[in-house]
Amino acid sequence: MNIELLTLTDVEQVEGEIGRFRVKLRQRPRYVNMDRCMACGECARVCPQEVADAFNGGITTRKAIYLRYPQAVPLKYQIDPQRCLKIQSGTCGACEKVCQAQAINWEDRERSWTVDVGSIILAPGFQPFDPRGIRTWGYGIFPNVITSMELECYLSTAGPTQGRLIRPSDGGPVRKIAFVQCVGSRDENNCGHGYCSAVCCMSALKEAMLAKEVGGDVDVAVFFLDMRTPGKDFERYYEKARRRGIRFNRCRVHSLEPVGDCQRLYFRYITNEGRPARETFDLVVLSLGMETNADARGLAERSGLQLNEDGFLDTSSFQPVATERPGIYACGVYTGPKDIPGSVVEASAAAMAAAGHLAEVRNSLVRSVEFPQERDVAHEEARVGVFVCCCGSNIAGVIDVEEVAEYAKHLPHVVHVETSLFACSQDTQEWIRRRIEQLGLNRLVVAACSPRSHEPLFRETLKNAGLNEYLFEMANIRNQASWVHAHAPREATDKAKDLVRMAVAKVVLAEPLPPVQANVNPTVLVIGGGVAGMTAALGMADQGYPVHLVEKSSQLGGNARHLYRTWKGEAIPEFVESLVERVKAHPYISIYLRSQVVKAEGFLGNFRSTIRKGNSPLILDHGVAIVAVGATAYKPQEYGYAESQRVLTALEFDKLHAVGDERVAKGRSFVFIQCVGSREPERPYCSRVCCTHSIQAAIELKEEDPSREITILYRDIRTYGLREKLYKKAREMGVVFINYDMHDKPSVRLGPNELYVQVTDHVLHMPLSIRADVVILATAIVPHPDVKDLAQVYRIPINEDGFFQEAHAKLRPVDFAGEGLFLAGLAHYPKPLDETIAQAMAAVAQATRVLSIRRKDVDAIKAYVVEDKCDGCGLCLDVCPFGAIDWDPKSGGGEGTKLVRINAILCKGCGSCQATCPKDGVRVAGFTYHQLMEQVRSCFAA
Amino acid sequence: MIQQKVGAVLVVGGGIAGIQAALDLADTGFFVYLVERRGAIGGTMAQLDKTFPGNECSM
Amino acid sequence: MKHRFRIIAFACHWCAYAAADLAGTARMAYPASVRIIRVLCSSMVHPHLVLEAFQRGADGVLVMGCREGECHYLDGNLRAKDRLSALEDMLETMGIESERFRLVWCSSAEAERFTQACVEMEQTLASLG
Repeated sequence: MNIELLTLTDVEQVEGEIGRFRVKLRQRPRYVNMDRCMACGECARVCPQEVADAFNGGITTRKAIYLRYPQAVPLKYQIDPQRCLKIQSGTCGACEKVCQAQAINWEDRERSWTVDVGSIILAPGFQPFDPRGIRTWGYGIFPNVITSMELECYLSTAGPTQGRLIRPSDGGPVRKIAFVQCVGSRDENNCGHGYCSAVCCMSALKEAMLAKEVGGDVDVAVFFLDMRTPGKDFERYYEKARRRGIRFNRCRVHSLEPVGDCQRLYFRYITNEGRPARETFDLVVLSLGMETNADARGLAERSGLQLNEDGFLDTSSFQPVATERPGIYACGVYTGPKDIPGSVVEASAAAMAAAGHLAEVRNSLVRSVEFPQERDVAHEEARVGVFVCCCGSNIAGVIDVEEVAEYAKHLPHVVHVETSLFACSQDTQEWIRRRIEQLGLNRLVVAACSPRSHEPLFRETLKNAGLNEYLFEMANIRNQASWVHAHAPREATDKAKDLVRMAVAKVVLAEPLPPVQANVNPTVLVIGGGVAGMTAALGMADQGYPVHLVEKSSQLGGNARHLYRTWKGEAIPEFVESLVERVKAHPYISIYLRSQVVKAEGFLGNFRSTIRKGNSPLILDHGVAIVAVGATAYKPQEYGYAESQRVLTALEFDKLHAVGDERVAKGRSFVFIQCVGSREPERPYCSRVCCTHSIQAAIELKEEDPSREITILYRDIRTYGLREKLYKKAREMGVVFINYDMHDKPSVRLGPNELYVQVTDHVLHMPLSIRADVVILATAIVPHPDVKDLAQVYRIPINEDGFFQEAHAKLRPVDFAGEGLFLAGLAHYPKPLDETIAQAMAAVAQATRVLSIRRKDVDAIKAYVVEDKCDGCGLCLDVCPFGAIDWDPKSGGGEGTKLVRINAILCKGCGSCQATCPKDGVRVAGFTYHQLMEQVRSCFAA
Repeated sequence: MIQQKVGAVLVVGGGIAGIQAALDLADTGFFVYLVERRGAIGGTMAQLDKTFPGNECSM
Repeated sequence: MKHRFRIIAFACHWCAYAAADLAGTARMAYPASVRIIRVLCSSMVHPHLVLEAFQRGADGVLVMGCREGECHYLDGNLRAKDRLSALEDMLETMGIESERFRLVWCSSAEAERFTQACVEMEQTLASLG
């Protein structure tokens, strides 16, 4: 309600300044009246113009009047003016003739207007790289070379091949597939993009696994430079793909050539050993990288912003979503290639930043709707009104709606029935509202489409008519009858009658449900005083929420105290110092050092946590908690670390380097060994930061003295995204990179004043001995021991690697499944400082959202206890997935008098309790045992 | 020139990032203009996953 | 002959019910004998509901929930599985072939899996006679 969705709209001009921008917008015509279109689809059925559908990578067609995709939001058709015959040549107009909603509007014109806003967030996204015309890959020339986006469509059950893999050239079987990585990335010669697109390795893995699943014994090979799986649970997936038999081939692509009849392709490449090789495939999939689109470039120009040479917006690591223009923020791929969780995190961070300076005008422009006083119908006899929708011809074209309506009139408790052309249209809503009032209806059944699309709309209508919104039921006679039994109208009509009868049977038993309101304590507990915790604490406190900041050690700063520079070169110590000062000085932040959370109870809005400071326990009440306890560094046993003062971890090296220790200052030869403790069987994840960190250190050493010999021994270089620039720079400066294999690791031999590192040279296939003054071990980031304790205290999950598990890897990256708990920083997974800060800001945004529910009602579909039926057996306590049920203390009168009680805030209404209860002692409102039972019975009561 | 600060935010781009930012802001007391150059929101993610959940971006 | 049967499908709002919606959108035909009852989670289906359906004359009953690991309520589908698997023996003792009852896991995108389950149930019923 407080989002105005403006489609087909561009930003024309941005004027003003932070807090007060005036933005000129321009909207192109849709030629479809959005208020009238019901998305019935008749127009597209009759439209004669077939157009390649860009949404499906052009491998399917759509019409000139179309929906972008079946679940599009808004679910309204649009006309492609370039393809529409009526617009282009004044002929046709078929859509207008069949549109019963009269939604086609040929007079639609472009319009411009201005809006006033306090902040602007830019998230224009990207486009996949277009490989057309580049000889190496033969895309557009050989039909069996397809892009990863096209494969996505082929693999989809909703796609043109119903999820079957076929050779596009002749529909023949696909027995061998090659994935080619870095198409449009890390390749300035062919595509002008030096950066890594950061997502294509994982998407290729996903597609390769899907292809295996779909294609059975299909042979899948992935040709890559470095396998980049540095994200959470990515490395495990890579390992799984290897075990699944997918072949991984480190190489450089030479060319693709057709085999004889063109149905298959020769794939020519240069092996990791430097030899040319060739293999035949049925299908070659190009893993497309990302690039900025023209729209994003124009947007930057019109917003007065500068894009970098790669077409992305440079941001500071310390303010990862701020642009150079105050009040304008950027997120998603606009600030550099990144995956879905990364984009979601940045988006929330941008929301937090955009709201931060507008605190005093919060709630000044939001609208809320006033509903009339609810009529008390609890003691009335059920008076059901039934509305049967024609959905244009979507329902009425198959089902005899008049017959259904006539039938419904004779059902018990039904006092009024009518049909309508579109039950969901604005005027019908008003009509229904008046009917409810005029006829004193107290229950409503709409036989139309799915409650998943229109239940909220009709509930609103009930509220407008002064009825409780839960006295409502839908019979889904479109999706479940007319659309799927189009060839059997008799059966479809009979089924519709059954569905209406079942809906009436259920709604008669519906009861008005009182709104459930959450009482929320606005105080925030932040656990961990590192950069993540401090950022979160400041973000909440700046908005006026009181914050308790609990830190285990004696000082704030966390792991960042050991870091010197971000990958972009910004100085970290000064940043941390100023952060600490701001936290200390903030009037809303209370700091508890040398303190630990030892106990917690409660739930969203009302937590009570006990912290221990020394020997004295202290109780803190809070509404939400943000967990940011960080991580620690792996203590190596290998590579002579314990024996030599010249074998250092990366953090030790940084310190010695910074203080000018002579081992570093006078060192001539340095060897970095990557993946020490990471990507090992006992720790099968990538620590994400170490490749960039080692390369950065190598560059600094070279910059100080170009004659130094620097070697980096690696398994895969994972300078993801724009970090790839550092890798390129290091190679140009003469840093030597040697690839080693997991099964043939390097070894370190100690000399009197020097070290010798043995490694197999993969090109020469010979052992190589490198003399080194210092060996630097890129050690793993390992979970903090406190993670386990806190997991128990707050009953939050940890993943197989020992990091906290978020609610949803992609869409809820900073929330725990248990409501009111959030996470940020290294406790979630290893990550660099900029990502940690973005995540902490995102946690603030999500925590703020939760704290705003003070004023809001929660869905009232919850379990409740029927006190005269519950006999206190307690079976439901065990099955509740949310721990929402416990013993009611007021019933503790000894054996047999116990009752359970349900916490309505924790309960999600799943009904596991109801299905377990032998006594009908607990019911889910809106889905009670009796309601479901009546539905079953009425199904057979025809 | 506007004198007062404005309690509304413009979000440009209706992909997963824009949708997330818009929902976060709308839920915390700001009016949001969500501007999308195409006819429907959903961005690239809708293309990757044909079940891009409507309820994630419903208002 | 198809309408001879009556199949009740308890479908989870978050997955199977959505898959059925999608089957509609995609105009994927399936047996008209299926009557869907929407539940919030497969774990909401009390065994009595299944028994009642058979007693009232259902030829087959489907309980459809989310794929493993995708349950909207953490692990309701597993609870449903534990609880309802025990029904099979009970049905046999009542003289109802256990094939007439089936648990199906499908995601909200898997319209085909939904329709397939309906088709398979009809085939099963046809073979049982």
